[in-house]
Amino acid sequence: MAEGPPQGAVQPTPELDEQAAEVAEVQGRLGLARDAEQARRALLSRPRFSLRTQIYLGSFLAFLFALGIATALVVSFHRMEGKIRFLEIVNDYVVEVEQARRFEKNFFLYDTNLNDALDNVFRAENILNRNAEELAAIMGDNWRTAMLPNLQRYQELLDKLGRQGAPSPSLSKQERLRLQGLVRTQGQQMVSAALALLSKEKTALAKVMVRSRQLLFYSMGILLLFMVANAYLLGARMLSSINRFGQYAHRIASGDFTPVTPTRSYRDEFTELALAINTMIEELEKREAVLVQSHKMRAVGTLTAGVAHELNNPMNNITLTAHMLQEDYDELGDDERREMVGDVVKEAERAKKIISNLLDFARESGSQLEPLDLPHLLQETITLAGNQIKLSGIKITFQTSGNLPRVHGDSQQLRQVFLNLILNAIDASSKGGRIQVLVLPADEPNYLAVKVIDSGSGIPAHILPSIFDPFFTTKGKGKGTGLGLSVSQGIVAKHGGRIMVSSQEDKGATFTVVLPVTTIPAELGAKE
Amino acid sequence: MSGNLQVLLLDDEPIVGRRLKPALAKIGCEVEVFENPEQALIRLGQKEFDVVVTDIRMDEIDGMQVLQFVRERWPRTNVIMITGYAMMSLAREAMEKGAFDFIAKPFKPDDLRRVIAKAARALGSEIDFDAAEVEKANG
Repeated sequence: MAEGPPQGAVQPTPELDEQAAEVAEVQGRLGLARDAEQARRALLSRPRFSLRTQIYLGSFLAFLFALGIATALVVSFHRMEGKIRFLEIVNDYVVEVEQARRFEKNFFLYDTNLNDALDNVFRAENILNRNAEELAAIMGDNWRTAMLPNLQRYQELLDKLGRQGAPSPSLSKQERLRLQGLVRTQGQQMVSAALALLSKEKTALAKVMVRSRQLLFYSMGILLLFMVANAYLLGARMLSSINRFGQYAHRIASGDFTPVTPTRSYRDEFTELALAINTMIEELEKREAVLVQSHKMRAVGTLTAGVAHELNNPMNNITLTAHMLQEDYDELGDDERREMVGDVVKEAERAKKIISNLLDFARESGSQLEPLDLPHLLQETITLAGNQIKLSGIKITFQTSGNLPRVHGDSQQLRQVFLNLILNAIDASSKGGRIQVLVLPADEPNYLAVKVIDSGSGIPAHILPSIFDPFFTTKGKGKGTGLGLSVSQGIVAKHGGRIMVSSQEDKGATFTVVLPVTTIPAELGAKE
Repeated sequence: MSGNLQVLLLDDEPIVGRRLKPALAKIGCEVEVFENPEQALIRLGQKEFDVVVTDIRMDEIDGMQVLQFVRERWPRTNVIMITGYAMMSLAREAMEKGAFDFIAKPFKPDDLRRVIAKAARALGSEIDFDAAEVEKANG
């Protein structure tokens, strides 16, 4: 800690910005409350497009489309009705006209009167006049010029012919024949025109019917496609969110308490879930902090036994010296007295040192991130556990490959992790055992590895996967809480590293803590 | 028994020996002080002491080994164990293995004198425990 240089001491260089970025990044990883607030604001600042809206919108669009289809069908039915009605009218008209022509023929052949024919013409004219609207709708305005004048002309011709009839044969035979020809031609023309119209309109009707059938089929197909697309989009949106939240859950379970941040440009019901998860993360983090602290106090408790024992030595030295000084005060020379008082002072200092190490560690402190010299931190931790190691009659060796880059982190928390591993190793070792602590570059670049190797009883393969689980312990009742490794794993995960273990039964265990190095050169951080 | 009580004192804390040597001399003990257990064992191999006072916990060889060595080599010798406060179980174990008594750190010089006087009595040689007391009173 004494070597931990204040960041202000470093000359302002471009690397400083990099360092600041690094600090920010690690702080981000440690998930401060500020981040949670930022995440909350970012989550809420997006425009809202809820799932409900999408469902409503999709259904509404489908409804609009269906409405469009229905309208189109109604319109086309209406047109078909019009055409059918028209066909009926024209048909009636043709029947009347044909009837009139039959009477006309009788008139020519048998000289019957023309009144019946005129009756029919009159009825045909009536039909036309009565249905003027329908006819105009189909044929436009020219129906009057096309049909009615022909009919009227036919009527006129019949009238003329009727008046020249048998009672007054004033007309020459030749003239009569001419009139007959005219009447016949006019009648034929009228019938054929009406029949042509009829057949034309029948074709048109068939066409309209085919078209409306096609319209129905195609629009059903399009509606189906639309519904499928809507369901797909909705499903994809929900499934992707569910997957994302599954990943969050895994991430949180592994101890990464970074708040959930926006990944999409809008917010919806899942945003509320994200906010709830962020609240949960905050709570978890608070609890984790309590857990870390309480676990630390347990480690302090363990260390206290060693400290109490170690304190006995200076206490004993002080007691003996003080008593002898009191007993022999008069017989002793000045030099001897001075030496004895000096011993008392020295031993009191020694006692203070023994306690202060532990007190330093036990002190509750806020999370402070700084570039850390890992070998130095390990050395301190070994000193801290020193009494325990001595008490257990265990040898500990510490090796490090020189010139290692620094690691960014919270020295208190990392010390706790290493202390936990060393205390575990002590517990696993029997008297005369050996513990090896190594700091070296990890296999993957830009990572450092701390290995704590014991030669104790080892960990049976079947419990190896569960040793990091909370409340898992092999120690006796009241000796272990089963939280040490779980808490350690949480701390290391927050530093962007991980703890691994390998063990063979009866051959000891190796715990490896891998931590990312800072990108700042070590020399820069080491400048005092 | 003629002459002074022969005492070997073994503790890896130098101050213990420095203070206890004169303190025990006052009650008529001839004290040889050792800080290194190996050297103490060599000396114990050479000479029979009346009383051996040894710390239980030391780095290289611990007090239990010294106790065992003395019990085998000099069955008559009384061994007094110095223990830490937190190690009562170890003290009990030492008693089972034939230690005469134990004394817990931190202790006063008189505490040890008393235990040594008891050990001397057990050996049949009276120790003038009061010599120190009288001196103290005079002083």
